[in-house]
Amino acid sequence: MQLSRIIYLYKRMYAQQLKAIMEYNKDFYILLCSAALTQVLGFIFLNVIYNQIPDINGWKFWEVSFMYAMIFLTEGIGSLFFEGTWRLSGLVNRGELDRYLLRPVPIVLQVFCTGIGVNGLGNLLIGGVIIWQSLIHSHIHWSIAKIAITLLLLVSAVIIRVSINLVGNSAAFWIRNAGNAFPLMVHSMADLAKYPVTLFNQGVRILISTVLPYAFISFYPATYIFEKSGWSGWWMLAPVVAFGSAAAAYCIFRFGLTRYESTGN
Amino acid sequence: MSVVKKYSSITNRSLQNVLAYRTSYVITFLSNFVNLLAIYFLWQGIFNGRASVGGYTWDQMRTYLLITFLANSVLSWYSETAISGKILDGSVAADLLKPIDFQSARFAETLGTSLLEGGMSTVLIGIFILFTSGVNFPHSPLVYVLFALSLLGAMLVKFGVVYLAALLCFWSTGSMGIVWARIAVTNLLSGALVPLAFFPDWLERVALLLPFQSIIHTPTVIFLEQATAWESLSLIGVQCFWGIALWIAGKCMWNWAVRQVTIHGG
Repeated sequence: MQLSRIIYLYKRMYAQQLKAIMEYNKDFYILLCSAALTQVLGFIFLNVIYNQIPDINGWKFWEVSFMYAMIFLTEGIGSLFFEGTWRLSGLVNRGELDRYLLRPVPIVLQVFCTGIGVNGLGNLLIGGVIIWQSLIHSHIHWSIAKIAITLLLLVSAVIIRVSINLVGNSAAFWIRNAGNAFPLMVHSMADLAKYPVTLFNQGVRILISTVLPYAFISFYPATYIFEKSGWSGWWMLAPVVAFGSAAAAYCIFRFGLTRYESTGN
Repeated sequence: MSVVKKYSSITNRSLQNVLAYRTSYVITFLSNFVNLLAIYFLWQGIFNGRASVGGYTWDQMRTYLLITFLANSVLSWYSETAISGKILDGSVAADLLKPIDFQSARFAETLGTSLLEGGMSTVLIGIFILFTSGVNFPHSPLVYVLFALSLLGAMLVKFGVVYLAALLCFWSTGSMGIVWARIAVTNLLSGALVPLAFFPDWLERVALLLPFQSIIHTPTVIFLEQATAWESLSLIGVQCFWGIALWIAGKCMWNWAVRQVTIHGG
């Protein structure tokens, strides 16, 4: 299937979901505000800590804020445009995936468009503002190459985040009970990447750089952007990791799909 | 007597419910633990090369984190979604017909899960302490008694906050937004993320006037022996005040909310 066709279908399905959520606009605002509030309070937390000390392991306030906001920003994009991954366990448990299997449209695409998380918009906005501020306050020498690489790292970060979400939620094919506990645990691992990986012991470092490569969303881009000595060149792995995790996520999802047996009622 | 029996059977049922769905329960619990790890290592980094930060030594801070984990996991996610879930899917209609008080019944339910959650987190903390050293234990047995009382008080206050937040679901169609906002506000203002002593003066003063500080701040202050026995008692008194005030607020809000209720289908 051609890319242009996929984008066209995505837009059409997304527009339908958008109509659906606008029906409940009270919820729309509550979710939007609560996501923004959560982030602002997290930011205050960092601020309170940095009021007491100048740096953590050589990392300054705005640098850690950047990492913090990257985790939230990618989460926001994930829930705003790919929220459907979180509905996968519901689809599997209620046998609603049958419907998707019958249509001549890629199943992953249909899963992605199963819902919209408005909270993503709040995360995206506040995350964007904090990232913007942290880049302004850090005295970075911008060049065209640097801007291009930063954008590349951002795109990689989003791909990695969505891939991990898809893998976590694909557990629904194996764990047959309603609820999102397993993907939520995978999701909460991202907390570890809100701070420099140098804080953690070797085991945790390896975990969030390989199996669950959250560090490539926040830490490794930060080492490039803020030019941390000792980490030069590591950012180059980020696009590779993004490609790898997308491929792995797709394979795991397809493999899970072969285990799908519809529930009848 | 029969009243006690009525509610204790609800407690028992909710305990069995947890045991029946243990997989997702254990997983949720583990993700709380991941959170603790992240925060623990963060603080370790903060204290790296510093004797004390904000009046806390690293040993005190370590103890603080473990107490926070215990106090937080005594009443967590599960009780939260259970109450709002009832309101959102309309099964609250069935509760309206029963000859029991909705609020007390939910409290009894919460108590059931809390027993298990408290037990599990105590075990987990025990394991954690085995691998780390330097956690401060108070020597006087009186502190432990006061600490246990303050944990109960914390639970009562937290239930009050959670219950009020859950009742808001009468006006919305989803619970996630309200739950997130409540968690974020509670975490910051109760001292779960950072001790209140770290706050700028004005924020600390505001936080101390709000009920949230009873949930984490009070038990930790007592356990770390930052308050004398009399001060501890008065802190527990404040907890009781908030517990009762929130309970009454919950009652009023419930009375008003049930008149707004719309239940679809049948």
